This record gives sequence, structure tokens and C-alpha cells, in this order.
Amino acid sequence: MSGESTRMLLSGNHAVAWGARLARPDVIPVYPITPQTPILEKITDFHAAGEVQAEMLTPESEHSAMSACITASISGSRVFTATSSQGLLLMHELLHYAAGARAPIVMFNVNRTVASPWAFWPDQTDSLAQRDTGWVQFYSESAQESIDSVIQAFHIAETIGLPVMISHEAFYVSHAMEPVEVPSQALVDDFLPTYKATHKLDPLIGQSFGSPVDAATYNRTRREMDVAINSTYEAFEAANSTWQQLTGRGYGIIEQYRTDGADVVVVTMGSMCGTARDAVDNLRDQGQAVGLLKVRLFRPFPYRQLREALSGVPCVIVLDRNFSPGMGGILHQELKAALSGMDDMPKIHGLLAGVGGVNVVPEKIEELVKQYTDAEPNIASLWVE
Amino acid sequence: MNEVPSPLWTNSSTAVNKTGTWRSALPNYQDSPSPCHNACPVNGDIATWIQEIKAKDYYGAWLTLMDNNPFPAIAGRICHHPCENPCNRKYQDESIAICSLEHFVGDIALDKKWEIPAADITHEEKIAVIGAGPSGLSAAYQLRRRGYAVTLMEAGDQLGGLMRYGIPSYRLAKDVLDGEVQRIVNLGVEVRTGVEIADATAVKELREEFDAVYLAIGASRSKRVPNLDYEQSWVIDSAKFLAATNRGDAMEFGDSILVIGGGSAAMDVARTARRLGKDVTVLSLEPEELLPAQREEVEEAQEESVHFIGGAMLQSVNSNGSNGLELNCIKVEFEQGAARGQFTIKPVEGSEFTLNADTIVPAIGQEVELDRWGELSSDSSPIINTDSLHHTAIDGVFAGGDFASLDRFVTQAVGMGKRAAQDIIGYLDAGQKKQAEKGQEVPFKSINVHYHSEAKRQIQDVAELDERLKSFMEVQRGLTIEQALTEADRCFSCGNCIFCDNCFYYCPDMAITKLEKGYQVKTDYCKGCGLCAAECPTGTIIMREEL
Amino acid sequence: MNYIEYKDLDLFSAGHVACSGCIESLSIRIIVNTIGSDAVAVVPPSCGAVICGGYPNSSVSIPAFHTTLESAAASASGVKRSLVAQGKPDTTVICLAGDGGTYDIGFQALSSAVERNEDILYICFDNEGYMNTGGQKSSSTPLQAVTGSTPAGKISPKKNLVEILAAHNIPYVATVSAAHSEDFVAKVKKAKEIRGTKVIVVLIPCLAGWGVADNAGIKVSRLAVESAVFPLYEVEDGIKYTLNHTGKTRTVDAYLAEQKRYRHLTEETVAEIQAGVDREWKRLKMKTRISQELQAAED
Ligand SMILES: Cc1cc2nc3c(=O)[nH]c(=O)nc-3n(C[C@H](O)[C@H](O)[C@H](O)COP(=O)(O)OP(=O)(O)OC[C@H]3O[C@@H](n4cnc5c(N)ncnc54)[C@H](O)[C@@H]3O)c2cc1C
Ligand SMILES: Cc1ncc(C[n+]2csc(CCOP(=O)(O)OP(=O)(O)O)c2C)c(N)n1
Ligand code: SF4
Ligand code: SF4
Ligand code: SF4
Ligand SMILES: [Mg+2]
Repeated sequence: MSGESTRMLLSGNHAVAWGARLARPDVIPVYPITPQTPILEKITDFHAAGEVQAEMLTPESEHSAMSACITASISGSRVFTATSSQGLLLMHELLHYAAGARAPIVMFNVNRTVASPWAFWPDQTDSLAQRDTGWVQFYSESAQESIDSVIQAFHIAETIGLPVMISHEAFYVSHAMEPVEVPSQALVDDFLPTYKATHKLDPLIGQSFGSPVDAATYNRTRREMDVAINSTYEAFEAANSTWQQLTGRGYGIIEQYRTDGADVVVVTMGSMCGTARDAVDNLRDQGQAVGLLKVRLFRPFPYRQLREALSGVPCVIVLDRNFSPGMGGILHQELKAALSGMDDMPKIHGLLAGVGGVNVVPEKIEELVKQYTDAEPNIASLWVE
Repeated sequence: MNEVPSPLWTNSSTAVNKTGTWRSALPNYQDSPSPCHNACPVNGDIATWIQEIKAKDYYGAWLTLMDNNPFPAIAGRICHHPCENPCNRKYQDESIAICSLEHFVGDIALDKKWEIPAADITHEEKIAVIGAGPSGLSAAYQLRRRGYAVTLMEAGDQLGGLMRYGIPSYRLAKDVLDGEVQRIVNLGVEVRTGVEIADATAVKELREEFDAVYLAIGASRSKRVPNLDYEQSWVIDSAKFLAATNRGDAMEFGDSILVIGGGSAAMDVARTARRLGKDVTVLSLEPEELLPAQREEVEEAQEESVHFIGGAMLQSVNSNGSNGLELNCIKVEFEQGAARGQFTIKPVEGSEFTLNADTIVPAIGQEVELDRWGELSSDSSPIINTDSLHHTAIDGVFAGGDFASLDRFVTQAVGMGKRAAQDIIGYLDAGQKKQAEKGQEVPFKSINVHYHSEAKRQIQDVAELDERLKSFMEVQRGLTIEQALTEADRCFSCGNCIFCDNCFYYCPDMAITKLEKGYQVKTDYCKGCGLCAAECPTGTIIMREEL
Repeated sequence: MNYIEYKDLDLFSAGHVACSGCIESLSIRIIVNTIGSDAVAVVPPSCGAVICGGYPNSSVSIPAFHTTLESAAASASGVKRSLVAQGKPDTTVICLAGDGGTYDIGFQALSSAVERNEDILYICFDNEGYMNTGGQKSSSTPLQAVTGSTPAGKISPKKNLVEILAAHNIPYVATVSAAHSEDFVAKVKKAKEIRGTKVIVVLIPCLAGWGVADNAGIKVSRLAVESAVFPLYEVEDGIKYTLNHTGKTRTVDAYLAEQKRYRHLTEETVAEIQAGVDREWKRLKMKTRISQELQAAED
């Protein structure tokens, strides 16, 4: 363990701002949206105080913010931005563009319901709807995890040559205060070398990017993206182990909690994990062998890790705080697909719990576990009352 | 760090695409003649020397002029300038004042005493040129310049032919004539004056001594007006009259003169007589608007109060002794024929009228004394017969000028002299290559007028009328430098590349390369759009269909 | 005559696949060679993008980033900020965008970039329509012009981009035509030296889209300028107006006659177009005069 850290009482969003500050981005194009604004304003404060040296670019829209992120990135700069909900949706076209451009941008998204109707509650549909854009996606459940993830994300993005998005949920995480270990700048500098782009827009090189290609060449770019995004695992392990050495804190691609010998494993992402953890403890106390599997990395979808972790587990209950109309819970569907064809494939229940920010308390989860442990699984995701 | 894969970044230039395959027409830099060049009797590369004036390279302009015509100052004064008729600029406003520009350059050369360096004699063959009018002088000049030994034989005692004895000095000052003639002599032409080669036999004898002979003795006999008694003292031959006044010898005659004729000679007689204080009437078969003389001459004569009676002819003369002459005339219907000088007339019954005068000067043209020239002439032609190479019926004997042409103009004579010289060289040295023919004449629609000045045609000053009538001073004052430059700038330079680089710069496909002097099309890339040709100010580029 | 005065540095290569005779490629040639090699281009989908070349080839020697249709100004801002962050503030960042990408879908981004006064030189190739998609109308398509989406002729007039930008107090906005290359080159040079946002609108008669002969692009541009359909002028800091081609020396007839998109016009519609041009020209001259008066008052 090297370097020291400072313990601060921070909201999730301020932790993100600290993470961004410590990663020393060169360019920060950003546009405000509730509940992301504290990230923006904190970074702006840092910038005003000279603590962040980056070029701050505050355009008229998230669309332009992401456009600028892409070009700043492929001009050779380290780039950070943050958004939420509608802003993320407005970026959609550019998210594909960024990944296609292999721009190692790091973006923080605060999960918020998408309109209409207007609402400002935690819900992961906004970022999950971006799952096919080629961005690596992490879901964080705490301020500490968010700050660490932001810093790690630069390492990963710059290693694999793809953009990385980290999400945490509105208010539950974004605005909740918690004590956070903020690593020292020296430590982060140690961890994260200055970004050096292999290819970039440079008059001395003169190469152009993005020109129209034929079908075969386009196909090749997707295959190469496939290879790149699948190298996330390796890149993550490398980044994470160094981070762990430096800070003592490490994370998993997936994280298991009391799953040993579990008959039922609850699978979920983000803030729901904290609630589920309490429920697991209570159920274990009550004698039921229940565990929790937290999916941190959603893209690439860690199906190998999931198949291994869930092998031999009789029952899996997926809690989705998101909704894909006509298909149901996105994690539910993806997990089923990931486990499909396993010899000892668990029964999988998909529950739409907390969609639209509806509060889900541990007791509710306990109730659901009890209700579904022996039930026959439904192919569809089921709404939780 | 992962190597970002290549399909995302370009790694070569579009130069690998050979867009030339799209093309159906290719631009062609063509050496196309301008209309003025084609119409000019000496084919005088007009566009070229006008551009040289524009660049203030007057010496260059003069050298270009001198290539085709050793008399720029003379031609610039008295040429009938057929070059100006088809000039493309007239479709925009008015044709270029080519003749005045030539005058301008010719005068600078005389003023600066520019000479053509004498050439060494590099050929064994000797050539005789007979007659030192414009045609003979032109041939002698071209031959001597190219290293041939030339002997110029002239019956009179001075050189210049009708330029000296015919054209009055108010139109062509003697020092101008002397200057340009002397320059030719200075080249090393052997001149023998007072030598008359009177007939075919004499020519054949000459031929023994010389390897080639050029006959340019003009048309020396005056044509006769029917029903006029030339023995009378009140009839004066125009040629003699002009020759005498040109020499400065005064002739005795009355105060009121009738000039018969409508050509340059008639105008010269009339205007000369006006300068001698006479009252002058010109009687011509042609109606006034069809007079063969140049328009300027007629207008200037009118300004000088010469009276014109067109479309009429003299029928008889009654002499009233000291009271002068009573001239019986009649109106005629005049109809122009197909060829130059051909016409028919029909007297109008009952239109008789009389005029009074003291002296009659017939000036209806000159003719060749065919009877003296035996096999060189034929009954069917009023002139000496030559083939397209100016060759007569006698081997090695060539002819040109008024002697062998009905286009009776100084520059016509000069042009024939030039071309005959080339033909003589071709005759003597069969290996000599003929000059390549130029391509299609440049039409007005090929000119992009946008690139040209909007200035109006520049007109030179002329002497005030009362000044003019008092003496034989030149009427034309020539263009000022400013006028000449403005005028030169008006020229479209038809078919004559001005190296403006428009074609190079306007090509959207970088398909034109600049060479040391000129341009080349890269066929690999030219898409054949024709923009270069459209934006060429001079019509130099022609789009040629490729099959 | 006026000779073209710029050095062709060979920064734009042959073999590009612009239509035969297209003066957009010619304009790109003038622009990149005038700006020189220390530059980065941003190109949204448009004819300009096609001209810049398909992978793996590029017609421009400077790096070009092909961006999305609505993003040019934002993308260019990103490049510029990155270069500034890297200590290379002198590299010129240019946009090569179409009118659709400028007047319409990219206008929001452009307006914001101008408001932020990003140090970019934005070139709009104004061919008065979405030509890359086969020729539909844009808000730059003029009154009465037939396009794929206005088959009977457009019923609304062209948007006045220059005025809108002038209202942003943009440091520099100008119109140019490839037929007036001297002015074109001078403006590009001038814009390059100004820090902040510069926009240059280049008139591009689209040969296919307007129905113009392959060799007539320059001629049509010239007629557009001479008839004041497309006046050449510049506005500095939103206030200083300069007319660079002062004569309105002809009516619109000859200009319209060169183009098939106006083939359906009647005497009345021509008169209507003429009246519109006359009115705009009058306004422009008035603004120029007022701007001179204002300057005089300030001096
Ligand atoms: C009054 C007048 C005005 C004119 N004005 C113009 C004008 O303004 N513009 C214009 O273009 N043209 C004009 N012309 C016509 C022009 O002068 C002639 O067409 C031109 O001079 C013909 O040139 P040439 O060399 O063929 O003959 P000439 O000029 O006639 O020269 C022939 C020479 O040969 C000599 N010669 C004659 N016989 C012999 C011989 N047997 N042996 C040796 N030498 C001999 C003569 O002495 C003379 O020097 C005019 C003609 C006249 C008469
Ligand atoms: C978001 C989006 N919508 C539509 C298109 C399709 N598109 C490509 S180019 C173009 C027209 C562009 O017109 P303009 O900017 O005027 O350029 P031009 O083709 O005329 O040069 C359109 C509509 C696109 N690329 N992106
Ligand atoms: S414009 Fe010039 S080159 Fe063309 S015909 Fe007239 S004088 Fe000759
Ligand atoms: S402008 Fe260029 S491409 Fe067009 S015809 Fe001329 S050389 Fe060929
Ligand atoms: S455009 Fe200019 S340089 Fe090219 S051929 Fe024509 S005159 Fe010569
Ligand atoms: Mg367009």
C-alpha cells in the first residue's frame, strides 16, 4: 500500500467530481441535468480554484458535449464528462460514434427515469438503453465505489481503447453523504499514467478518421471492437489489482455476498445491492441459504463469470430497477441469455422491483425471496407490487 | 496499450483513384489563330505583340511585329487593317485598334533607333529582288535576315515604291518611310538603283546570275478613263501628280480640280490638291458609301471640304479655253461584282448634269503592262500568273505585290513578299520545313469576357483641320502611352495563352501541371468537366471529345 | 484581369470523387492550401465529406475528422480545446460543413460555439440543399427553387445565416465565391488570423442539384454575386459591415436561366425573386452605411 488518502464526507456526486479531478482530464465538456449537476458544479468549482486544469467546455447540449468529448479524446486528450437520463438519451447517436472512434472517454451517468412523463427518480433504464453503443458499463452502489471506479475507468478505457460509462443512481447514491477515502493525487498519478494516444488527429501525422468504409471494412471494425471490449476483463483485473495494492480497496466484475451454499441467489445492480445485502443477512439469520450477486460490469456482460458463479445454484431471483417495455427487466433477460444452455441452469425469476424509483426495502426483498424460492419461474419479468 | 486498429484511420491519398476514366472530353491547349491573325495580310501574330505592349515590353512587341513585317510604323499608318474587321472584341463593343497599336510600337522603334542585327551570309545562293516597293523590300528583308545574299534592283533612284511616290506625306511622313526602309538596307542588302528589268528576256538573263528572282515591280500603268483625251494639258495623270508633289516639285494647273475615281489614290490626289489650295470634286462610279477607299480617308477628305459626287460618270468634256472645262456627266446605277474591282454600271436616262473644272485628274487605278512579260502573263488574267508558292512560269522566278495581285495594299504586298521569301527558301533548300498550320480560328464564344477590361476603344488624336490644310504634316498623331496600354488591355488575346494560370487554379481536380512555359493536362485525373476551358480568358483551351 | 493569388501547397490531392466540375472541391483546394498544413478539419456528412475521401484514402493532407451531421461546431470545439490543452493553440481548426449541417441540424451547435467564441474557422459550403441525400431542401434553399422535397418550388425564402451570426456578435463572418478567388483567399487568410469563431459561407452551385452544366460552376457563382443574389460581404464583431463586391450590376435573369431548378418560373415568380433580392440588397447597403457611420462616430 502506498500513498495516503483523506477521509471526507462526500455525496456520491462529489465523490465522482473528486475522482474526475484526481484523474487529471485535459478536456471536460459537460452539460447540466438533475441529478448530475453537483458533479458539474463541483468540477467547475475545482476549475475556478485552479485545482482542475482542464479545458472546461460548456456547450448548449449534451449532444454537443459528447461531440466535443469524442474529438478532444481522439485529438489525444484525456476526457471526462457526466450526464443523466434525457442528457444521456440525447447523446445516443454520439455514444455509438465515440465507441466507433475508439475514444477512451470516461463518462459518469446518474441513473434517472426517462421522460415522459417527467420524473426525477432512480431508474437504470437510461444507461441500460445504451447497452449496444459499445461503451463499457459499470454500476456503482456507493460514493466510495464511484470515486474508485472513475479513476479505474480511465485506466481501463485507455488500455482497451473504448469509452467507459459508470452509473450510480439518482439521490440514493448521488446525493447521499458518506465518508469517502479520497486518495492522494500522488497515488492517483502513480496509478494512472498520462494519456498517450496511439493514433490521433495531428497535423504532423495527417491521418483522417471516420471516412466512409465498405461493408467488409465496417465488419472488421466491429470485430475489432468485439475483441477490444472483451479485453475489458483483463484490463479491469490489471487496474483493479494495482488499485488494490495502492489503496487496499478492490472490486469485482461481479461480487458475491454470502453465496456459499446458497439455494437462492439474488442478482441485481447498483443501489439495490445494499438493500439486498440487508435482506440476505436477515434471511440467513432466519436460516434460509440466500446470497447476493452484484453485477458491477454490465458491458461487456460477464457471462462466463456469471455461469461459474451461478453454477449449481437452484434458484436465482433478478431484481431489475429498469424496464424494457415488451421484454421486461433487462438484467433478467440478459442473465437468462447468459446462462442459457448450462447443464445445471438455475431457475430464474425476473422481478421488476423499484422501476421509476419506487422504494424497495429489505423486508420487501425478503418477502420476494420467500415467495419465489419454490415457485416455477415465469418466462416474463413480473411486476412487484 | 492496445494498438487502435487501422480501418479507422486513412493511410493513403485519393491520388490512387484515377478519375481520368470518368472523362469523355479532354482539354487541349491549342495554338489557335485569332481572327485578326487570319485576316492580317502578313499574319502578324497580333495577339502576341499586343500582349507584349500590355506588359510594356515594347521591344518584344516590335520584334514580334518585325518577324512578319519590317514596316510597323508604316503599316500602323496606312494599312487598310482588315484584321480589325473580324476582331472578336467587336461582339462586346468595338474591335481593337490594332493598326494604331502597331503605329505606336513602330514609332517607339524609330524613336529608339532599334535595328535588326545584320545577319551573316550563311547560304551560297544569291537572290535578286526586282522592285523596291513594299513587296520587294519585304522579301529582301526576310531573305537577308535568314542569311541569304540579296541584290535589290530598282528602276527609280529611291526605295519605297508607291509608299514613296504614291502615298502623300500627310499620311506617311517621309522620315518614317526612310527610317524603316533604311533599316532593311542596313541589314546588308545590296541595292542597285536606276536598274530597270524591263521584260521577260531580262529576267531570264538575271536568272543566269542569280539562283532565284523575285519580281515585285508593281502595276505601273495608269488605267485610262474612256472618252478622255489624255493629250490635253488639262488632263494630269494621278501617279505623276502624286509623285511630283511627293518629290516636292510643283505642277502647274488650275484652281478647280475634278478627280475621277474612288480609291485611295483618288483620295490622295483630292486631299493633296486641297493642301495646295485647290477646290476639289471627286467623281466616282460607286455611290459614296461604296467607295473603295478606306472609310477614314473618305471622312477625312470630307472634313477637308472635298466634294463628292458618287454614282456618276463623265461622258464628255467641253473646253472653254481660259474659262475652264464643262464636264458632261450622267448618273449611273452601280452594281458590285463578285471579285474585287468587278462591277457593272447602267447610266440612268435623263440624269445628265454638268460640272465645271480647270483640270481633270483621273485616278482609277493601275495596271500591269502585261505585253512586256510574255510567258509570265496570260490573256485571261490582268496580272502576272503565279502558283500558290508565288512561282511564275519561269523556273526560279517568283512574283508578288501589285504585279501579281489585285489586292492592292501595302501590307498585302508585304505579306506576299514574306511568303514568297519562304517559298524561295523552300525552292532553294528542299529540306526546309514549312511552318505548321494553325488550328481552328477562335470564335467569340470561346472567350470568357469576364476577365477582360471594359474600356472603350481608344481613338488617336488627329491634327486640327486648319493645320492640316496648311501643310503636309501628318494627320494621325498616334496613341499616347496610356491609350496604347488601355487599348492593349482590351484585347482578348484570342487563342494566345497569357499564362494567367486560370486553368491551373480553376481545375477542381488538380489535373493541370504548370510547365516552364505552358501547361499540361494530367490525363489520369482530368474528369473532363471543361471548367478550365470555360474560365480560360483567351479561348486557348479546346475541349476535344474522346471516343 | 485579376490573377489568382494563392500558393497551391499541394495539400489537396487529385483523385477525389467530387462530381466532374464541382467547385466545392475547388473551394476546398483554395481553403486548405491557404490555411496551410498546421490545421485539423472536422467534416460532417455532406458532399465535403465525400470529397475528403473514402477509407483508406484522403484527399486532404491535414487530418480530417468525419463527425455527425449536427456536430461540426461542437466537434471542432473539442479538437481545439484538446490542442490548447496540449499547448498547441496555433493549429487552425476548421469545419467543412454543408448548409444542411449548418443552417439546420447543426445550427444549435454552431450558435453555441459562436456564443462561446470557440477559436474555430467554420466553413459552410452552401449548395442550398441536402445534396448528399439526393437534393432535398434545407433552410438555405431559396424561394422557388425546386428540390426533391419542394417539387413545386420552395415557398419560403432562404434563411439569412450571416445576419443571424452577426447577431451573435461573432468576430468574423463572411461570404465568398470560388469565382472571386482573390477575395476568397483574402478572407480565409484574414479569418485564420482572428482568434475566436469565424464563419465563411461559400456559395456552391450544385451541378446536379441545381441543374447546372459541368463547366458552369464558376460562371453561376459569378452571376450570383453580380446580381446580388449572393452578395460578397463580411461582418466583423457583428457590427462592421464591408461590401466586397459593391456592384449589383445585373438582374437575376441570367443567374436563374443557368439553372434547371428554376425552369418552372413565370414572369411573376421571377419578379418576386427579383424583388426579394432588391430588398435584401438595399438592406445590406443600409447596414453597411450605418456601420460606417457608427464607426465614424466612435473614432
Ligand atoms: C496613291 C496611292 C495611295 C495608296 N494608298 C494606300 C494605302 O493607304 N494603303 C495601302 O495599303 N495601299 C495603298 N496603296 C496601294 C499600295 O501602295 C500598293 O498596293 C503597294 O505599294 C504595292 O507594292 P508593290 O511593292 O507591289 O509595288 P510598288 O509599290 O508599286 O513598287 C514597285 C517598285 O518597283 C519599281 N519598278 C517598277 N518597274 C520596274 C522595273 N521594270 N524594274 C525595276 N524596278 C521597277 C518601282 O519604281 C517601284 O519602286 C496606294 C496606292 C496608290 C497609288
Ligand atoms: C442525424 C442525421 N440525419 C440525417 C442524415 C443524412 N444526411 C447525410 S448528409 C445530409 C444532407 C446534408 O446536407 P448539407 O449539409 O447541405 O450537405 P451537402 O450534402 O449538401 O453537401 C443528410 C440529411 C445524417 N447523416 N445524420
Ligand atoms: S481581340 Fe485581340 S486577338 Fe482577338 S481578334 Fe481582336 S485584336 Fe485579335
Ligand atoms: S478543369 Fe481540370 S478536370 Fe476539368 S477539364 Fe480542365 S483539366 Fe480536366
Ligand atoms: S486559362 Fe490562362 S493560362 Fe490557361 S490556357 Fe487560358 S490563357 Fe493560358
Ligand atoms: Mg447542402
